Amino acid sequence: MNPISRGIRNAFRNSVRTTSIVLILGLSIGLSLTMLVAQKAVENKIKNVKSSIGNTITISPAGFNPGSQANNALTTSQLDKVAKLDHVSSVTETLNDRQSTTGSDMPSFGRFGSSDSSNSTTTSLSSPTKLNANGPGRFFVSGGGDSSAFANFTPPVSFLGTNNPGDVDGTTITLKSGKAISGSADANEALISGAMATKNSLSVGSTFTAYTATLTVAGIFSSDSQSAQNTVVLSLPALQRLSGQSSVVTSAVATVDSLDNLSSVTSAVKSSLGSNADVTSAEDQANETVKPLNSVKTVATFSLIGAVVAGAIIILLVMVMVVRERKREIGVVKAIGGSNARIMGEFMVESLTLAVAGAIIGLLIGVVGGQPVTKMLVDNSTSSQSTQFQGPGGRTFNIQEAPGGADTVERPVRIEGGFGQRFRQSTAVRGLSDIKAQIGWGILLDGFGAAVLIAVLGSALSAGMIARVRPSTVMRAE
Amino acid sequence: MLEVKNLTKKFQSGDSTVTAASDISFSVPDGQFASVVGRSGSGKSTLLSLLGALDKPTSGSIVVGDNDVTKMGDHQLISYRGKSIGFVFQNYNLVPSLTALENVMLPMEFAKVPKPERMERAKALLAEVGLEPDQMDRKPGRLSGGQQQRVAIARALANKPKLILADEPTGNLDSATGKMIFDLLHELSRKEHTTIIVVTHDLEIAGKTDRTFKLEDGKLVK
Repeated sequence: MNPISRGIRNAFRNSVRTTSIVLILGLSIGLSLTMLVAQKAVENKIKNVKSSIGNTITISPAGFNPGSQANNALTTSQLDKVAKLDHVSSVTETLNDRQSTTGSDMPSFGRFGSSDSSNSTTTSLSSPTKLNANGPGRFFVSGGGDSSAFANFTPPVSFLGTNNPGDVDGTTITLKSGKAISGSADANEALISGAMATKNSLSVGSTFTAYTATLTVAGIFSSDSQSAQNTVVLSLPALQRLSGQSSVVTSAVATVDSLDNLSSVTSAVKSSLGSNADVTSAEDQANETVKPLNSVKTVATFSLIGAVVAGAIIILLVMVMVVRERKREIGVVKAIGGSNARIMGEFMVESLTLAVAGAIIGLLIGVVGGQPVTKMLVDNSTSSQSTQFQGPGGRTFNIQEAPGGADTVERPVRIEGGFGQRFRQSTAVRGLSDIKAQIGWGILLDGFGAAVLIAVLGSALSAGMIARVRPSTVMRAE
Repeated sequence: MLEVKNLTKKFQSGDSTVTAASDISFSVPDGQFASVVGRSGSGKSTLLSLLGALDKPTSGSIVVGDNDVTKMGDHQLISYRGKSIGFVFQNYNLVPSLTALENVMLPMEFAKVPKPERMERAKALLAEVGLEPDQMDRKPGRLSGGQQQRVAIARALANKPKLILADEPTGNLDSATGKMIFDLLHELSRKEHTTIIVVTHDLEIAGKTDRTFKLEDGKLVK
């Protein structure tokens, strides 16, 4: 019988003790693996989020609040300066407005500029948006307003003036029929969604009224976005003229030629606009968004270290106990010609056997527990995150994950504060808790590596004790 | 020939120094069966430890054949113990997780004897000491004291040592079994021409050996 088979056999000398040790080690290694899985999953997610960010900078007027609605909008001239900055390849400027539908009761919505013509004008269009009193996606009006329902209320229609009409809410739209409009031409031409066209029985060439003007449907686009379906797209100069908001821009997105220049251009934009604007790069957003993931990663890392150390301490104490118990036996083996290295090797194999048996149980725990624990850690961490936006209308937008749908990108989102919100986040950022924990060969090898590490660390002290056992111990009577 | 010269062993016990063996000198020719007697604490076991290279003397020399054991390094001592010395202990000291056969094979494994050869020799030795074939695959816990001591004697003979050191080999056995074990050692000594030194309290047993040494307070008095 060689030292390996003797070591393995010694590991099972006392079946009750071995079972207990293996179970405890299994829990320890299982926790290590689970934390390793969580750490890797979170690392991958952070990597994905960071790699998916665009080379864009979001610019919005600074200091929106319900009590200060005027004179803080961005202007076309300010953004012209931004467009001329080095490495800025384009600037998409947008103006958001809304029109209540004819005959609807309408709560008061704030807007930019001194005039407030949209509150006194209406559109002949009806919104395709369906209101649901209780379901996900319902609208709340908050910020001090009366939140009770209006007797004859129908949702207002959003109007988007943009110098890039191919893009609505950060999404490229697809024209189903008609033609595109120019973002720079001041013409009463509009793009409407298929849902809006159906709701109002419109087709290309049809007309409708808004801002007391008659507008022609130039094209009909398709979109899955509910807000895009409720949006009429005009050129920026047209909406500025129609809404009486000359040169006003409610938000802009500057595109930088390279991700490497994102940081320097963000600084340049901030410097150019001063305190007039809130300037946020996609990188800033991503960093802010992955903060909870970083805390999960830290928790997982410390838990991993703790579990490995706990496992090593368990093995260490067990092996110290075993060496003390077998001190006489070690003395006998030394007396009949066994070397220290050989005896240590036997104990190392015994320790490894216990650790590997524990690793097998730990692996099962890791496979079963990896995904749920990762999700639980991420969900707990991200559910406390509430992203606050301010937008046109002077309302605060609190965007929180709605209960029961936190695990998909398209989960229900509860939006407080108004209609037609315009916020841009990448899909990866929005799907923060859509995290996949996978146990691959790499993690399995890491797990067995952890078991070996635990065994080596745990048997280190016992090896020292073995070396100190004198063969003359065997001569002492028990 | 075993030759011991001026062998002294001192221990530090707290602030005081205890002399367990003091200036002991004697020699035992090859194949002789000798005994060491003395009261408890007289230094018998210490002397056996020193002779078996389990412990190092404070001074003096032990020469077995051409080898001065006291001048050997740790690695040499491991090899020396494994190949040249056989131990038989009062408590048998078999490895409890191994069978009788595996216990006898163990010193041969340390001496790098090929497996088939050590298996064959172990079986032959166990048969020689009177163990039945069905008992060879039993672990020590399932053998009687006398059977365990027979296995221990077979283990001591495994590497054909020059010297067998037995510490109270009959101490834990009833008188009939003790006599059988003693006779077995005596017979093996004659047959294998192996030097055997037995430490014992039993003066009757000591009287049957070729030579008897008596220790008192660490000194050889006879």
